[in-house]
Amino acid sequence: MSADSFRKYLRLLEDEDALVSFAESVSWDLEASAVTTLANRTDGEIPIFESVEETTIDAALVGDPYRGPQCRPWEHLARAFELPPGLSGAAYYEAVIDRLRSPREPRIVDRNAAPCKDVVHTGTDVDLLSIPWPYIHRGDGGRYSNLHTVVGPDPKTRWGHWSSHRMMIHDDDLASLLFLAGEQAPNLYYYEYEPREEPMPVAVVLGTEPAVQCSTEMWIPNGRSEAVFAGGLKDGPVDLVPCETNDLYVPATAELVLEGRVLPNERLDEGPFGDYFGYMNGPRRSMPVFAVDAITRRGEPRVPFCVEGTGVGYGQNSSSTLQTAAAGPDATLGLQAAGFDVALAVPWRFTSQTVWVIATDRPYPGYLHELANFIFTTWGMLHIDFFVFVDADVDPLDPRTVLTAIALEADPDADFHQFGVERMPKVPLNIYQTPDEKGSADVGTSKTKTAKAYIDATSDRPAGVSGGDEELRRRAQELLVDAGVSSEAFDLLEWGGDRSR
Amino acid sequence: MIPFAQYLRGLASDGDLVTIDESADVPPDVVAAEALRASGPALRYRRADGVDLASGMFSGPDQMQRRESKSWSRLALGFGLSPDASFVAVLDTIAGLGPSGGDADPTYAGQTASRTVDSVQDLNLPQGTEDVWPSLTLGVASVSSSEGSHWAPIHGSVVSDDKLRVRTPTALSSLLDDDGTLSIALGVPPAAVATAYLLAVTGCVDVPVQACGVADDVPLVPTNGGLVPSATEIVVETTVADRHPDFQSDRREAWEHGVASTPLSLSVERVIATDDPVIPFSPVGRPLADDLQLTGLATAAMLYRRVNDYWGISPIEWVLLPAEAELGICFVATNILYAGFEWQLANLLFTFSSLFDTVIIVDEGVSPRDFGRVLGDIWVKAHPSRDWIFSEPSAPAAKRPRYRRDGTTGARLYVNAAWDPRWEDSYIAPRVSFERSFPVSVRDAARKTWNDRHDAAAGDGD
Repeated sequence: MSADSFRKYLRLLEDEDALVSFAESVSWDLEASAVTTLANRTDGEIPIFESVEETTIDAALVGDPYRGPQCRPWEHLARAFELPPGLSGAAYYEAVIDRLRSPREPRIVDRNAAPCKDVVHTGTDVDLLSIPWPYIHRGDGGRYSNLHTVVGPDPKTRWGHWSSHRMMIHDDDLASLLFLAGEQAPNLYYYEYEPREEPMPVAVVLGTEPAVQCSTEMWIPNGRSEAVFAGGLKDGPVDLVPCETNDLYVPATAELVLEGRVLPNERLDEGPFGDYFGYMNGPRRSMPVFAVDAITRRGEPRVPFCVEGTGVGYGQNSSSTLQTAAAGPDATLGLQAAGFDVALAVPWRFTSQTVWVIATDRPYPGYLHELANFIFTTWGMLHIDFFVFVDADVDPLDPRTVLTAIALEADPDADFHQFGVERMPKVPLNIYQTPDEKGSADVGTSKTKTAKAYIDATSDRPAGVSGGDEELRRRAQELLVDAGVSSEAFDLLEWGGDRSR
Repeated sequence: MIPFAQYLRGLASDGDLVTIDESADVPPDVVAAEALRASGPALRYRRADGVDLASGMFSGPDQMQRRESKSWSRLALGFGLSPDASFVAVLDTIAGLGPSGGDADPTYAGQTASRTVDSVQDLNLPQGTEDVWPSLTLGVASVSSSEGSHWAPIHGSVVSDDKLRVRTPTALSSLLDDDGTLSIALGVPPAAVATAYLLAVTGCVDVPVQACGVADDVPLVPTNGGLVPSATEIVVETTVADRHPDFQSDRREAWEHGVASTPLSLSVERVIATDDPVIPFSPVGRPLADDLQLTGLATAAMLYRRVNDYWGISPIEWVLLPAEAELGICFVATNILYAGFEWQLANLLFTFSSLFDTVIIVDEGVSPRDFGRVLGDIWVKAHPSRDWIFSEPSAPAAKRPRYRRDGTTGARLYVNAAWDPRWEDSYIAPRVSFERSFPVSVRDAARKTWNDRHDAAAGDGD
């Protein structure tokens, strides 16, 4: 059975010797984040800090719990979904896509059966500062929650819309949410609720089961619910429970739920913060205010956080892993469903939200242009600047082969497209615009527009020319393993690091 | 100077060489390619028939993941440096093997190879999956002229007991005198094979080795063709049978992407070997192959020295032509001296090498050991329109990429992923890292907390 709660997921990690528990007291003020940074950098175990200083409730912090191994980021999540061990990247994508093709409706459970209701505080009992929110990087604007699911209303589905927006804590019942227009929940706030001067109900849910966190990272088409895709992913229904103070539903097994409203025409400071680009980004901006009406939680909540910025380059953290292991399969399925001949769509491992690599056929002239524009105008609009298209038989999960394709096949004269055109929106988290260019636009995006580009690194050779004799390669790999070479890096062995299909 | 046999022992003692028994049904080039693809160790092939072989000797793990060992670490050991030597130390060492301005002081020693082998076919050189004949790779050709001995890379096929078909730089074949004697050294010290590659890619094959830094380091011995390293595993002495042979082969070692080469048909006059010879081979044409790494390092060493000599100062921290990009992209870390310097630098690199027409510029503080950061910064720090700079479409196509092979002109590209020197300091976004994102006291406490639970030190560099 899939890990249907965050606790079960942590136990699974423990069983795999992939979790390290620290009983000694650790400070939320940079220390937990620093230890997690070391864990991320050394590809070490996931750290859980059982005792956090200056915390009034018995809560633990968990540093980057969804981070996977650097060589196989999907490994832990594959285990959480009970997929076979040792799957190659392509096999993992195929298995996840199969699950996503069969969405499952969630199941409503009684509040008495919902662990996230073990403790309920509403009204004046709400104390946001009782939670050990980490101060993650020196220079951050404040303490943050950045590994959670924001549940918002969706007029087209009963289960609401799930998405991810970092949240800066201000006092015992107020926080600011990074709402960037162009994304579904912020759009609803900026263009529906706020003009009506109506607060938008939301819930911020921490410590969800892996399927929920994964579907939060996916770009689910408008009108479809992340909750049903989470059910497909775990091959079983997600348990939901009604909120205490609004009409939203939240995952019942969560560790912690903040219920509240995003207030109209109210702003609080947000940022700077060291986000997924790997750099601190500023300047401090004004963002919508989240007023917390209720906190419901487990008795001793495990509070996950992500040391953003450590998932670039060689590093992995929760957000880079979730991009590779969740957003990638979802995007592949979405593009296939839209009629494109895409084999795989995968975030570039070294900066996962800025560049994507798409392995695809080219069935007709102009196809890549159509594909690029489809993505840039739908889910790739704000964050992604580049797409790299490679042949369908190039593995986008193997960055060496992608780099080779760029070097050998992408002609600067003919294969780099849409450069020099600064007409597109951009998140202000970027570091290539000056603070003046980013400005302080009312709806979050940078004041100055940017360019988007795609690189055609496909070849003109017929498909199937490269690759060599797979059986011969397999025998060579067996020979090497017999001689004592570690099997982990071989892609064709039954029990190697990758398993052939 | 590290002889090849000693180099083998060094890698073995470092745990970076695995010995395997040759398989009758899996060609060595396939095994070598799989080991490289997996970033595995160097291999020694124990053979019942013929000489022992070694692969991966001049290559190393790819840089697509954080690894303790780098793609140049093995070669550093082969140069007598620490395997942990910096990339720049390796570049400096390679550059120092080349023309020295006449200051070299050659030493001579006896020939290590003293056993005569009846036939070159007795060596049982490896035959790849697509090869008609056994092949030799990673050879060093030596010919004599009135100036001295000249070295260059050579590779080819064994077509009979006494016939070889080879390819070598045109610059070398043009130096052959009337009697046309040429020696092929197989299993030479790493410094010698690196020299041959360096001389080829810098267009200095006409400079005799007696006038190169390598002569200070590698003891030499005369052969029929010319001087070769005294510590050579196998020497094949030949005469030229045909300077214009009528054969075509698709096989090219990587240096041929940027260097004109010619075929030669050679008659084998004598083969001498050490008592227990081991010779390296490269799975030519496969990812991360030894000849590819050597070409990339030799070209980077050439560019590093030339560019840093050019303006009277040394703004370049490192230049890298990674085998992972098949030499088709040049990466350079530099101090951007002033606005527009990046344009000068990129175009100077295009001037000095015809292999690539894409240059990526990163800040001087980016370590070559952190190629992962380079592969992130390209997209994050460079503005998608302002910092991706294309030339007018009138440049010849670079020689390494596969596009525009019809001779049409096109654009070159440089990507400026370095901070703009005109920006105010407050615009420069601090990088998230353990060293920068936490004060000393927190770092110390975190290290103690983490290391108390782990044996391995966690303080490796970012």
